[in-house]
Amino acid sequence: MNGFEYIGKNIGKIDAMALATGQPLFTDDISFPNTLHIKILYSPHAHAIIEDIDTSEAEKIPRVKLILTYKNTPQVLHTTAGQGWPEPSPYDTCMFNKKVRYVGDRVAAVAAETEEIAYEALKHIKVNYKKLPAVFDPEEAMKEGAPVIHDEEGISGVYNPKRNIVSHIEVKAGDIEKGFEESDVVVEDTFEMQYAQHCPIEPHATITYLDEYGRLVIRTSTQVPFHVRRIVAQVLEIPVQNIRVIKPRIGGGFGVKQEIILEEISAFITLKTSRPARLVYTREEEFVSSRTRHPMKVTVKIGAKKNGIFNAIKMYALSNNGAYGTHGLTVTSNTGSKTLPLYNKAPNIEFIADVAYTNLPVAGAYRGYGATQGYAALEQVVDEIAEKLGMGPAEIRKINHIKVGETSPIFKALGEGREGVTQYIQSEATDKLLELGTKEIGWYEKIRKPAKEATKVRGIGMALLMQGSGIPLIDMGAATIKLNEDGSFNVLYGGTDIGTGLDTVVAQIVSETLGVKPEQIIVYAADTDVTPFDKGAYASSGTFISGGAVYNAALKVREQILEVTKEIFGEFNTKDFILKDGFVISEKSGKKVSLSEIAYQTLYLKKQQQIMATSSFVSDSSPPPFAAHFIEIEVDKETGIITPIKYVAAVDCGVAINPELAKGQIIGSIVNGIGYALTEEYKFSQTGKLINSNFMEYRIPSSRDIPDIKTILVETYEPKGPYGAKSVAEININGPIPAIGNALYNALGIRIHKLPYTPEKVLEALKNKGA
Amino acid sequence: MKVHYKINGEEKEFDIQPGELLLDVLRRNNYTEIKGNCYLGTCGACAVLINEVAKATCTTLAAQVNNAEIITIKGIGTISEPHLLQKAFVEKGAVQCGFCTPGTIISAYALLKNNPDPTEEDIKRSIDGNLCRCTGYVQQIEAIKFAIKLLKGGK
Amino acid sequence: MLKLKEVGQCFYPNTIEEAAKLLKESGEDTRIVGGGLHLTAFPNPAIKTLIFLNNLKLNYIKEIDGKISIGATTTISELANSAEMNGYLKGNVKKLLQSIASELLRNQITMGGSVAQREPYSDIVTMLLTLRADIVIHDGEKEIKTPISDFYKSNFRATLKKSVIKEVLLEKFDSTYKFGMKRFTRNATDIPLLNFGILAQVNEDTIKNVSIVVGARPGPAERFAQAEEFLKNKTLSKELAEEFGKFVEENVDVAGDIRVGKEYRAHIAGIFAKRILNEFMEE
Repeated sequence: MNGFEYIGKNIGKIDAMALATGQPLFTDDISFPNTLHIKILYSPHAHAIIEDIDTSEAEKIPRVKLILTYKNTPQVLHTTAGQGWPEPSPYDTCMFNKKVRYVGDRVAAVAAETEEIAYEALKHIKVNYKKLPAVFDPEEAMKEGAPVIHDEEGISGVYNPKRNIVSHIEVKAGDIEKGFEESDVVVEDTFEMQYAQHCPIEPHATITYLDEYGRLVIRTSTQVPFHVRRIVAQVLEIPVQNIRVIKPRIGGGFGVKQEIILEEISAFITLKTSRPARLVYTREEEFVSSRTRHPMKVTVKIGAKKNGIFNAIKMYALSNNGAYGTHGLTVTSNTGSKTLPLYNKAPNIEFIADVAYTNLPVAGAYRGYGATQGYAALEQVVDEIAEKLGMGPAEIRKINHIKVGETSPIFKALGEGREGVTQYIQSEATDKLLELGTKEIGWYEKIRKPAKEATKVRGIGMALLMQGSGIPLIDMGAATIKLNEDGSFNVLYGGTDIGTGLDTVVAQIVSETLGVKPEQIIVYAADTDVTPFDKGAYASSGTFISGGAVYNAALKVREQILEVTKEIFGEFNTKDFILKDGFVISEKSGKKVSLSEIAYQTLYLKKQQQIMATSSFVSDSSPPPFAAHFIEIEVDKETGIITPIKYVAAVDCGVAINPELAKGQIIGSIVNGIGYALTEEYKFSQTGKLINSNFMEYRIPSSRDIPDIKTILVETYEPKGPYGAKSVAEININGPIPAIGNALYNALGIRIHKLPYTPEKVLEALKNKGA
Repeated sequence: MKVHYKINGEEKEFDIQPGELLLDVLRRNNYTEIKGNCYLGTCGACAVLINEVAKATCTTLAAQVNNAEIITIKGIGTISEPHLLQKAFVEKGAVQCGFCTPGTIISAYALLKNNPDPTEEDIKRSIDGNLCRCTGYVQQIEAIKFAIKLLKGGK
Repeated sequence: MLKLKEVGQCFYPNTIEEAAKLLKESGEDTRIVGGGLHLTAFPNPAIKTLIFLNNLKLNYIKEIDGKISIGATTTISELANSAEMNGYLKGNVKKLLQSIASELLRNQITMGGSVAQREPYSDIVTMLLTLRADIVIHDGEKEIKTPISDFYKSNFRATLKKSVIKEVLLEKFDSTYKFGMKRFTRNATDIPLLNFGILAQVNEDTIKNVSIVVGARPGPAERFAQAEEFLKNKTLSKELAEEFGKFVEENVDVAGDIRVGKEYRAHIAGIFAKRILNEFMEE
């Protein structure tokens, strides 16, 4: 559609060749002389008080430099959640706590000359634990008399610590009970989603050192460099100005690197020893002691009129936050707020949620951020009610989904940890998504009951999805752009490319705005000393918020260029000027001046100034991207094995600034989602120890596990987004669970209520159905 | 003990402990293009060619492959002179975070050396030991197919 | 991260005699290293001495005296890609080998290492037991050939403290023989949660010379004598396959573990049994 030069084009990712040729781009690819290596001692108990720690034996080991415990570290209650200030997550943890709350909770850290020595020293730390009763089930945890996990003084932001309730959410519109009474058909169902991990192939890694002036530098694999700076300053009780955080390339995050869990330890050791320090998680630590998806039990009840229009929707979510309350309130808010507005025809809505502490690993942000769990239930119940009404899954969605110009009371009622913002949908093409997707998957040819005798049966299923683009009136990003002598531009921005291609998208936005090739854009990002602030990589905000900031800065630079050009051309109506191929051209007179010439003039001769501008962007809305997902599966009735055959994702992310990169976001999410639906799960021992903390036992998809995946981008124009763009990074992880669940029902008439859909459960469901 | 390798065409000698893993030895000696830390041979980010065979260095003892010829991603192509596989990966959106990319390209390179005309199944099998959490593999497979086309074009 | 901290000595013998001698002379804490996967993935910090088989040139596949001889350090990939496997048992062994684990591991796992470790979830062990392979070991003086099932019935771990596996011998089964093996995995590159192999001679639909092996039960792979007895001299048919499947499900010796339950293991064993017989009929 567009007459754009660089928007909508598949520019190769600007950092891709450096990555593909193995340049030293990641945190741990650079080493500093004299580095101390850090290893952490973890709790073997799910719930215990540390009565005493004796580190004296360990300290005697030669070349052990420093051992940290709660005794010699600042006791500052904070949250590890790297969110905007003031964080909506509770302040319920210290760097090291006197009480351990899950198997894998931190007890001590050793800094030594080598990793081996650090490991050796861990064995010699003597800890006296007083074991406490533990609770692993969120429902049990909230009962009167359950062990109280957070009974320490001074914690804040917890709804009811005595009952282990991190957060309680209640949002209502209309009259829910009356809504059901007045419905012709009512369906309710419950689905339980499991513990799972992000599994970035690069684990968490941090290197800290003092620069030439003695200032602390933190080079770290993070999604939130500015929040790292703020929270490290808070925890170590040092000024923000003493800290510089550098984000190198990041080897995947998916939410797990939105946590401050290594930086403060490494930083403290560097400050105490004046030496570089390095902390890199092992794969096991990544599974046990970083962060996970929030396991959730979600009940959805929908009431509809005979004509299929929803009259009432009720959702209850019980979320398990594990031992600390990170992202508890906000993830669980999103379970309702990112799902319920999709079906805004229902005047009666209720969303209630509880978030519980348990003595299990800590949940945090994970791609999809609660919406994944919400859609897992909602989109299956939508299919269930469609069947009761005798309607097709696509048809019921078509008449109920939110449309351009419409709103939902949920937008206002439910924000990120506080009240939300009213917003009206300005871009949406859901009917087209459904139309193109059903066509590509062959829906109407395939939606029939398969032959009963066959051992292997096919089934198809769909799911409709929305997400958001950033957090309205909270997420802010900023950017600086400056012109160089050769007509190139430096872009300095706080946005955090963790592998998504944001730096490339940003280069394309600047290219388009200033009429230069992307090769002439030098992007430098997320260094707290050098670039302006940005909230970081989360909430599907990269293109929309960070890109929006860059766009605003580019517009300002454009103004400055045009202002200077006026004098050069002797023309005064800048509306006649265009920027193209590195030149300013007057369409009126045909006069032409290169950006290089302008740079030389302004830097050295006339109207001397650095052409540059800084701008910020914050949005008063969070325009949702939409997606319709379709899957065809094959189920082996005898073995219960589900094989995904074909997957179609029709996606409206506004204008895709780089369609190839958008496609990568979509497919990556889908495959991660398929893993979550079919194989990925945490398994715990009776005592709460994670027993499958490696890739041998925790099965993520390989190249041999993927179906044929087709992506269809349906372009809409989002007026709030840079060049019409909306987000694309998270939404598509929400589809696989409900789509596969619906396909299973289509194939065999079964629903599995406890994820993942393993062959064992398929057979069990078949047996129960037969019985 | 001392071990000797030919790495990316250069003769190298390292002091190692006999029980050390090749991954640790090479990274310590600044071959940081080799990634990975699963230490079970399960993620493939640490893959290199050892005597022309793609292997995980996290499950290979440095001492065992004494005198071997080792090729890392930099031995296949460099940022100034990339291999067609690397170009194809860039062009087809097969690089997201890029942490698995060196290992994946190593595996694809080994495939194309032995089988210039692989089927889709062959391609999938060749990189099935290189876990990628970003791309979902589709664009990687497309990139390998594209590289085959380029290689056949006589470039 | 250095886990094999105590390793102080590495040997690179040039002959198998030398290797066996070194093994006998060194103490308890000595290990023969073939592919090295088990050693590095599950390191035993007590190990002090390593004997590498690299220089022994044991990565061969050749035909001798009507048998296929596979050197101990031959990897799964090398075997899968060998000309010898192309038509062997109708290509079914090749297909199986290609599906095991992942490329990087197929490039590392060796025949000798698989036999020596006898991991409960080894597909190679199940395959070799099904194919009634012979294991040839060298004790420093002589070669000793033992059928693999006898080898495992003996105290083979003690034997391997003094002897080195040299090769594996496979019969060159004629076209009356049929082989099928199936594996249940969580996803494509997973270890098997159960594997099931059948080799049988089928003459005019009559089943003879049958061997049946179940592995990853989760205990180590073993011949399933009752099932072999069940099939002996039976006539191959759809009905038989059905019956056999039920028999296997009811009689197979399996247990549950963290990966999958007992009932499912038994069930899938029965399904695999049935399907392999059905495939025999289609061949």
